[in-house]
Formats: sequence, structure tokens, C-alpha cells
Amino acid sequence: MQFERIRRILALGLVLVLALSTFGLGGCTQDTDDGADDGATGTTETIKIGVHTSLTGGLADYGFAASEALKIAAEDFTGFEVDGTTYEIELVIKDDKGEPAEAPIVAQQLVDEGVVAVIGTLTSGAANAALPIYQTAGIPMISGSATRPDLTELGFENFFRTCLRDDLQGAAIGEWALELEAAKVVVMDDRGDYAVALGNEVQATVEAGGAEVLRQEGQEGDQDFSAQVANIMGFDPDVVIFTGYHREAGLLFKQLREAGSDAQFMGGDGIKSNEIAQGAGGAANVEGAFCTFGGFAQEGMPGYADFAAKFLEVTGVEAGPYAENNYDALGAVVEAIKASGSTVGADIIEALHDVTYEGVQGTLQFDENGDVTVPGGGGTDLIPRFEFKGEAWEFLG
Amino acid sequence: MAEMTARVSGFFGRMPRWVYVVIALALAIAFPLLEQFGLMQTLWLRLGTRVLVYVLLAVGLNLVLGETGLLHLGYVAFFAVGAYTTAILSSPRFGIQWNFWVIVALAMGLSMLFGFLIAVPTLRLRGDYLAIVTLAFGEITRMTLNNWETLTNGPGGIPGIYPPNIFGWTVDSPLEFFYVLLVAVVIVIYLLGNVKDSRIGRAWNALREDEIAAHHSGVRPMRAKMLAVVMSSGIAGLAGAIFAYYQQFINPTYFLFMQSTIVVCMVVLGGMGSIPGAVLGAVVLDATPEVIRQAFTTWLPGAFGRDFLPGVQSALQTDFDRYRMAIFGLVIVLMVIFRPEGLLPNKLWKREVHEEDPRELEKTHQHLFDFEEGKQDLEV
Repeated sequence: MQFERIRRILALGLVLVLALSTFGLGGCTQDTDDGADDGATGTTETIKIGVHTSLTGGLADYGFAASEALKIAAEDFTGFEVDGTTYEIELVIKDDKGEPAEAPIVAQQLVDEGVVAVIGTLTSGAANAALPIYQTAGIPMISGSATRPDLTELGFENFFRTCLRDDLQGAAIGEWALELEAAKVVVMDDRGDYAVALGNEVQATVEAGGAEVLRQEGQEGDQDFSAQVANIMGFDPDVVIFTGYHREAGLLFKQLREAGSDAQFMGGDGIKSNEIAQGAGGAANVEGAFCTFGGFAQEGMPGYADFAAKFLEVTGVEAGPYAENNYDALGAVVEAIKASGSTVGADIIEALHDVTYEGVQGTLQFDENGDVTVPGGGGTDLIPRFEFKGEAWEFLG
Repeated sequence: MAEMTARVSGFFGRMPRWVYVVIALALAIAFPLLEQFGLMQTLWLRLGTRVLVYVLLAVGLNLVLGETGLLHLGYVAFFAVGAYTTAILSSPRFGIQWNFWVIVALAMGLSMLFGFLIAVPTLRLRGDYLAIVTLAFGEITRMTLNNWETLTNGPGGIPGIYPPNIFGWTVDSPLEFFYVLLVAVVIVIYLLGNVKDSRIGRAWNALREDEIAAHHSGVRPMRAKMLAVVMSSGIAGLAGAIFAYYQQFINPTYFLFMQSTIVVCMVVLGGMGSIPGAVLGAVVLDATPEVIRQAFTTWLPGAFGRDFLPGVQSALQTDFDRYRMAIFGLVIVLMVIFRPEGLLPNKLWKREVHEEDPRELEKTHQHLFDFEEGKQDLEV
């Protein structure tokens, strides 16, 4: 009896091991071994770049996209030359499970390994926990996906990011509404973490611009917005901004149009789905609506099509979220090493502040806090705008 | 073979307990020195420090789960209360930096109060119901921390926690935190060891074995259980307070339900009701994923070359981190199969797990017989 059970469990374990090694075999096809091809003058040096990401846990798919994008980037950038020295890039990829408690351990490991720079972390929580360690070691850390606003305001001069801050979008929506010369604005959220934070930022910007704001709230999953519609019609706004997701947005916009509202509809990246037309009972109800996006728009990226094609070719899957941000993070580090001619952490940190890098996302720079910006621009100008035309969202710039 | 293991364990069994304690303590004290003399990477010291936090948690939960037999699945809530006490009272969040001792006392006090408040309604429940309700309390605590933005800054957490100042000594390196935690662990284990052997410790064990029988033998179940829950909450609060100082950052994702589960695993795999077991369980469970990672990415390739597993070496080089948790799961499954009583079980628990085994039954009878003859203490 007892043995029967043990045998069954052991069999299960064996199956697991087999499955595991199959995955392993599948993953090893692109092993490259570039042999001796030099003969050129100068020396060759290998530099280690740490990749601090989350390959297991709830965000594993983001971590996969990040690490694969970085492998592609490493292959693209390796062998760059500075003052006669050829630098080979070796990635050291480590997983923090997406747990902040694990992040310091991983950070310490990368520091012990002697990496010159770290691309990561994936999450903002892990960034908070890991930054003190990289700071002490004098190693720059460039994240492609840690979007929490306060990260660049904590005084860590070694922290940079190639993704846009969460609060930028709210300010951009608010500014857009003010550009439309709106005097009365409705800001509505769905009580979710993301929508509330975004809504607060929109409201603050609009109020600072002198417009009158009516704040409303719904719940994610609501079908009937008649109470809110009555409030909104009574307020007679010029602009209605919904910071939640497209399903509720569609229903809300439909019910507002049916009530006779002629307000301009706007929203954040939550409503940036073409399915919004179905929720709104036809594209006519959302025609001319505006929305924004929290990062650089792929439509506006000069190198995105090539990058996405290469990602698909190498990995066999579509490039996931933030893949291009990670690619650019490594590119920026390489650019900084070229500019400073040094692989010492402090020199790279200094150079990163001045570097101008032509990446997948466009021409990038970092401001004094380490937030990404573009030459001559920055701030809310970076947020891309879209308008719903016909059947789909159209990129405005 | 069996005879040899019996002889070996007989030899070790004859050594008095203090010998082990001294050996374990000496190893723990010497451990950070390896790093100081460059014999070990700082990684291991940092890991060791986190392990000590889990040792505190496992030893604390062992009181409730191991000694008293209450399946408590919300233990991480008290850890969170302790950690947030430190984070709020010693960080730029409100620009205040209270004294270390005040914070530790407050963290323990608040956790105990919180434990008491939760215990009043939940301890009337037994078995699965207690597990469900404590689980819910753990989640309620986390959601509260996540949503009480004015106090806790919500999901953003509290960064920049100031290092503690203990009698003029600023503790801010992994080495210093290791020794601070070691002192806390030693004090807690010493006190718990005494409680365990006292009348109240026996009462807990009696409740675990048979609540009704214990009640009728003069144990007051509610009071004894309450004491266990409140004491263990205090230990979690202490662990949380020091952990927050060490991390310098705290957010609600540190206190997911998974953390409670892991601590339960540490107690169960170490051996229910055994303090050395809980310690070993914490060490093994927290350090194993890291050991597996190092073994496959550094040690094995170092010893046998990069191609030590033909055909999969490149996957192991770059992608191993994706698979290590699966291997970790396998290790746990094997441990449960081959040592269901835990790594270092106490004798009573081991016999209970193997109660159909005639040899274990024989030992129990012999033990009781010896006890009645006055040859041996009734050691549990």
C-alpha cells in the first residue's frame, strides 16, 4: 500500500525531471561559440553585464521577454571597440522570483560576480530592495520596466530607466484636456489601484490648469452607469476622462452618448483596445475619443519593426512587454562605456547622464534623476497620443 | 548498513544535548568570519542573515503549529506588523527615527496585541476552520497595508529605512545584522526551550494530542492556546522589526500568503514540535534554492567543465534560473516521501507519524516502561 503510493509519486517526479530536461534541450539550440577570428590589433576584454530579472513567479513572462531581448542585444553589441580594446559582453542572468526579499540576495550575487553594470530589476519593489546594494558597490542599474515614480527621487545616483514613469501619463492626459480648452472636466476611475492613481494625477493637473473637476467612480465589472451619467449630465462637462479599462469605458461612453452628451471622451492606456467599440455598442459612440499610452508607442519607434521581427525569429514568440526597453538599457550602457572609455561603475554612471543613444525606441537620453528623456523634449511630451477613428485607435504622435 | 546507521546514531545519541548546542553556536559565530577572510562570497553572508530571520519565524510558528498543533496560516501578518512598525517609526516616510529598543518593544507589543485580538474569535475553531480563518486574517492584514495609503504608502512601500543604533553602534552591514539576529535567535531559543519543558509546554503538547483529554486533565485549552499564539506573534514581530531594518525597504509583497506557507513548510519539514528541527527546516528551505542555483551554474561547471551535462550546458548556463524552483519542488517532494516525520523530529512526533510501525511502537512502550521504573525522564 505504502510502496504503491511512493512508486506513483516517484514516477511523477521522474516525469517532471524528463519534462525539465526536454525544456532544457529545447533552449540550447542557439548555442554559439565564436572561435578565434581576431588578428586585429589591440586586446580583447570580456565584460560581465548583470541581468537582474524575474524568470519565475507571477511575472515570469515579462522576465522571459526581458532576458531574451537582452540576449539579442548582447549578440548585437558584443565586440564593440573602444581605444583599440575590443569588449566582449557576457550576460549573467539571475532570477529574483519577483520577490523583493530575494532581490538583495540576487544583487549581492551579481556584485560578487564582478559585473560592471546591471540591467534590471523587473519590478519596482525589487528595485527598491536592490538599489542600496548596487549603490554601495558603485554599480549602475538600468531598469526597462520599473515604472514607479518615486524610484528616481530617492537619491540613488546609480539608477536609470528606459521606461516612462507611471505618473507621466496622468499629467499628459490632464495637459491634453487643458489644450482642448476644457473648463469643466469629469474624471472617473474604477476604484482599481492603477485607475485611481492615474485619475488622481489627471485631476491634480487639470485643477492646477484652472478647470473645474467632477470626480466620479465606478467599479470594475459594472454594467449600468446611470447614476454617474445623471451626475455627469448635470455637470455638463467639456471632457469626460475615464482612467479604467476599455470594457467599462465603452459602456460608459455609450450610455453618455445615449443621454445626449457631446463631451470629448478621453482615457489612459486602459482603454487603448479596439474592442472598446463592441462595449460601446458600435464604433460611432467612440469615434473621435482620445487616449494615451504609458510608454513610448511602438508605432512611433524607428527600430521596433526590425527588433520585433528578430525577437520572433530567435525565440519563436512575439516580443513581450518591455522587451525593447531592456534592449535599449543594454545599448545605453554600451554607449556609456564607449563614451567614457572605462568599465568602472562610477565612470559609467557619470557617462550615462550625458549619453545620447540611438535605440529601438528612438533617440534617448537620461535626465539628472535617471529618468529617460529625448533630446529637446521630455516630460509629458513623451507620452504618445491616439484617436479612435473608424474601427481602431490611430497613432497621432 | 542499518546496523551501522544505528551505531552511528547511537554514538551521537549518547552525547549530551549541550554539545550540539555548543557546536551549532560555534559554527554560527564562525560563519561570517569566512566572508571576512575572503573564503566565501558576500552572497552567502547575506543569505545567512536572511536565513536567521526565517529561523526566528520558524521557531515562533513551531510554538503554535508544532507544539500546540494549531494550523496557523496567517503567521506572516505578525511579521508584517513588526516590519511596518520599524518602517513607519524609523524612515523618511514621516521623518522620524525612534530608538531601536523602543521600536523593537513596540513591534513585539503590537504583534502580540494583534495576535491576541485575532486569537479571541479564531481559537474557538479547530482544524481546517482555524486554518481558513487565520489564512483570511493574513490576507486582510496584507490588503490593509496595501490600501492604507496615508500610513503605509500602499503598494509603493516604505523605502530608505534608517539603520538601527544599538547603544551607539550603527548596524548597517550584513555582518553586523547577522550577529544582531544571532543574539535574538539565541535568546528566543533559550527562552522557548525553557517554556517547552515547563508545565505550560506540556499542556500545549497535551492539547495537540487530544484536546478533550487534556481539558479533563486540568489544562485550560483557551488559555494555553492563547498563550502560544500571543508568544509566537511576539517572536514574529521581533523578526519583522529587525528584517525591515536589514532590508531598508518594505512593501506589502513581502507578506504574501506564500510566505506563511513557506514558514509552515519549515516547521513541518524540520520536524513538528522540535526547536532544532525548526532551525534546520529554516536553514534548508531558505538556502536550498540558492545552493541549487550555485551548484548548477558555478560549482558543477567548475568541477566538470561547462559541458558537465551533455547537451544541455548552454541552457543551464543562461536559463538555469528558470528551472531551479522546479528542482527545489522535487527536493521537497522527496523529503516528504523519505522522511515524513521531518529532518530533526522530536521522539514523540516521530512515533506518531510511524504509528503503524511495530518497531516504533515497541520504543514507545519501552520508553513508558522506563519512565514508570524511574530510569528515564518522559522526554518529549
